[in-house]
Amino acid sequence: MASDVKGFELHSVVHLVRPAGARARNLESLRLWIAEATAATLFYHTVQCPLRHPTSTELAPDDLSTWVHGVVQDRQTAERISFAVQSRAGSPADLREALLEVLQSIPDKDRFSRAVPPESEFVFLTAESVPVLTGVVADGCDALVESLGAAEPGVWFFHLIEEPWYAPGPPTMARWARENGDAALAKVLEEEARAGRGLAEMRRRVLKRWRQGRLRARVAAATRASEDERREAAHEAVVGLVRRITHADEDEVRE
Amino acid sequence: MTLVAVRDDGPALLDGYRAAVGEGPLRTLAALARRLRGHRVVMVNSTATGGGVAEILHRLVRLMNELGVPTTWEVMPGDTRFYGITKTIHNTLHGWPGALSEEDREYFHEVNRRAATSLALDGDLVLIHDPQPAALVVHRRQPGQHWVWRCHIDLSRAQPDVWGFLSPIVSGYDAAVFSHVSFVPPLDLPAYLVPPSIDPLADKNRELTPEEQEALLSPLDLPVRKAWVTQISRFDRIKDPLGVLEAFILARKREDAHLILAGGSADDDPEGAEVLAEVQERVGKRTDVSLLLLPPDAHLTINALQRRSSVVLQKSLREGFALTVSEALWKRRAVVASAVGGIPLQILHERTGLLVGSVQGCAYQVTRLLRSPDLRKRLGVEGRQHVRHNFLHPREARDYLAIFARLVEAAGA
Repeated sequence: MASDVKGFELHSVVHLVRPAGARARNLESLRLWIAEATAATLFYHTVQCPLRHPTSTELAPDDLSTWVHGVVQDRQTAERISFAVQSRAGSPADLREALLEVLQSIPDKDRFSRAVPPESEFVFLTAESVPVLTGVVADGCDALVESLGAAEPGVWFFHLIEEPWYAPGPPTMARWARENGDAALAKVLEEEARAGRGLAEMRRRVLKRWRQGRLRARVAAATRASEDERREAAHEAVVGLVRRITHADEDEVRE
Repeated sequence: MTLVAVRDDGPALLDGYRAAVGEGPLRTLAALARRLRGHRVVMVNSTATGGGVAEILHRLVRLMNELGVPTTWEVMPGDTRFYGITKTIHNTLHGWPGALSEEDREYFHEVNRRAATSLALDGDLVLIHDPQPAALVVHRRQPGQHWVWRCHIDLSRAQPDVWGFLSPIVSGYDAAVFSHVSFVPPLDLPAYLVPPSIDPLADKNRELTPEEQEALLSPLDLPVRKAWVTQISRFDRIKDPLGVLEAFILARKREDAHLILAGGSADDDPEGAEVLAEVQERVGKRTDVSLLLLPPDAHLTINALQRRSSVVLQKSLREGFALTVSEALWKRRAVVASAVGGIPLQILHERTGLLVGSVQGCAYQVTRLLRSPDLRKRLGVEGRQHVRHNFLHPREARDYLAIFARLVEAAGA
């Protein structure tokens, strides 16, 4: 939806949360409702969780395993749900299948036995996505990464997690990078989008891998450059390093 | 006469919020505001001063205007009889006994009908807060308008008869907004969940210098060399002050600390006075417990108490949303709280704070925190980030703007 060979406009997203009209009081009713739940409901309780803790260095736990662990107090099932969410959240169908596999493997009597009181039931919610144009348009791959570096977590989430989840396939941002001649950046975006890490870690890794890729390209170019050109490049690199260190200090002061 | 002049107490709110939440969330607010260009918002509630809703509206209305969305605020006029009826509605929606007579119901509509002619409800987006002005939609709705009902009340224990009276009125809205999923009654219109939020710029939450803290706390004569364990809540049984005291006494056998129970004066609340007397009796001659009765405007003192505390408690038996938790988290405090009402949204166990379900659990977690400055620091840092992203006013404003954008765009589609 946001792909355009002439420019790529960054979107953020706001999720309006609504009750989905279902409650689970034991693992059996959880299984039944997961079988019926809309993609937006599965999304809210699993995929969307990292956006609620965008700066956390750890991956935010999903709502389902949190409830199974903390309320139903079935630690083993909670662990298996966490793993299913982490490893098979590539699409609504895949995630639903993985969750149902976990819940169906529990013996019937255990699925029914641990009923929780009404005030502790799992209430299914749904997220209505409201994409928001940021007004930032990247006119090339370098500008795209620069814009991403300054973008809020919602931008990363929308392009690299939400969009590919609802429309499985490479993120539109990665496709755009490939169409604009930067296959390496496209590969980084695709891999990190699939990796299932928290937003802060995803951001750090994309920017780091992109810089490293640029560094390799610069080294290769430098071997073919004249002595004067190399000296000039070294000077620019030191200036850039000083600027980054100075900005890092400013960030620390801010928090 | 009923239009509220919003408090303008300083520099642009946007600048203040930018410092609190960063540039990104404000860019999102600005983008949503652009989508509402050409639209006008009217907010209506029942009072311009006092109470959490009025406090939020003073900020929200000003913020939306700064964002370029023309927004006005009207206050529902009423008389003694009307306020008596709305007090009954308020109490019975909270689950207390009471009933509305046929005359009460008719008078409620009559006052709303009169207000519908006097209030300037000429915006195309009308946000009505709480039950008092709810029936304006029945008497004033015009074609092309979008009406949203914002309910700040927990309706989970509402008297069926009173909700049965309000429910058909609420059905006239395009959408309803609630603070927590457990507050939502059965409805035949879209219900959105918008948690309430705190104001990082308000006296209760703004940064205080060490000198300011010293000046605010020294008159209270509290032991400065001890770790403080604090619960700030009115003296009400559902806040479980006796449970807090019991938990502290258990923890105190293992770690030295001082308990502070701070709440509003109980002069006009017979049950509050009774609870306070019970707590005073239980405290007896203990010197490691302080009971503080604070005036309603002691926001800065509360701020300083929270900032100086090593552990903040909210050991309630029942809660609405309990924004006192977010207030403490915003100040990077380690919080121990019960898993009731909206608290589990704010406290993610072992990440942003510690949830407990018993007196012994509370004593255990308080002791654990008193013994571990590292744990207090880790929870405090994560807690502040959690509040920054989820429980500050700009997020609440963003959600309202997104709902409005949804409504106008759906109508235009």
